[in-house]
Amino acid sequence: MRHNGRGEHCVVPHRILIIDDEDDIREVAALSLETVAGWEVMVANSGAQGLVRAAQYLPDAILLDVMMPGMDGPTTFRELRKNPVTARIPVVLLTAKVQSSDQRRFADLGVEAILFKPFDPMTLATQIASALGWD
Amino acid sequence: MDAKEQQLMAEALDRMWAKFLPQLTERVDVLETAATALSAGRLTLEQRSAAHAAAHKLAGVLGTFSLTKGTVLAREAEILYSAEPENDAAAPVRLTDIARQLRVLIEQYK
Repeated sequence: MRHNGRGEHCVVPHRILIIDDEDDIREVAALSLETVAGWEVMVANSGAQGLVRAAQYLPDAILLDVMMPGMDGPTTFRELRKNPVTARIPVVLLTAKVQSSDQRRFADLGVEAILFKPFDPMTLATQIASALGWD
Repeated sequence: MDAKEQQLMAEALDRMWAKFLPQLTERVDVLETAATALSAGRLTLEQRSAAHAAAHKLAGVLGTFSLTKGTVLAREAEILYSAEPENDAAAPVRLTDIARQLRVLIEQYK
């Protein structure tokens, strides 16, 4: 749940945008965040679609896949930051890459957090909330 | 989550597994085709690239369905295909075995 501008608790669920080209990952993540946490989830199946939906819906956070055809996660992230409308939306990277060199490269981008695939559908929301200071 | 919610989530994940099973099987098909071609000395760049992508996707998703061993195997295949398996004498046998094990894991799950 979110706070309103006066610091009061609201019953408005968090709104999160999932950008991932893999439909199985995208649907399981959406199911997890909706069912376990009760968040409102939007999805995009490419970086380009993600940029449009982020500007359109202004989610509270974005869960962004790294390896996507066309516009990959890091490029999508930089484009989000270039646009004043989406520049301040927190971004959590989701990656199956586990090599430390990749992790350093992703951390240098300036994302809020990096989560790794495979994720546990029962705890994904907790991990995101913890990374973003929502708990 | 209480026990009932966990049960509902588990049932929803079962439905997801059934929905995406053909897609997962296709990815294993890609790995088998590439391993067969590699063993015959006929692995094309396109097949290698497709096998690398399939292994990467399997590594990312199988553990989400509690198939941790599947993620470990797929990750090993991803690493082997990202190098030059044509120059690794042990790669054809290992990649063939990984594809076989992934097939069994996926078919026996649920």
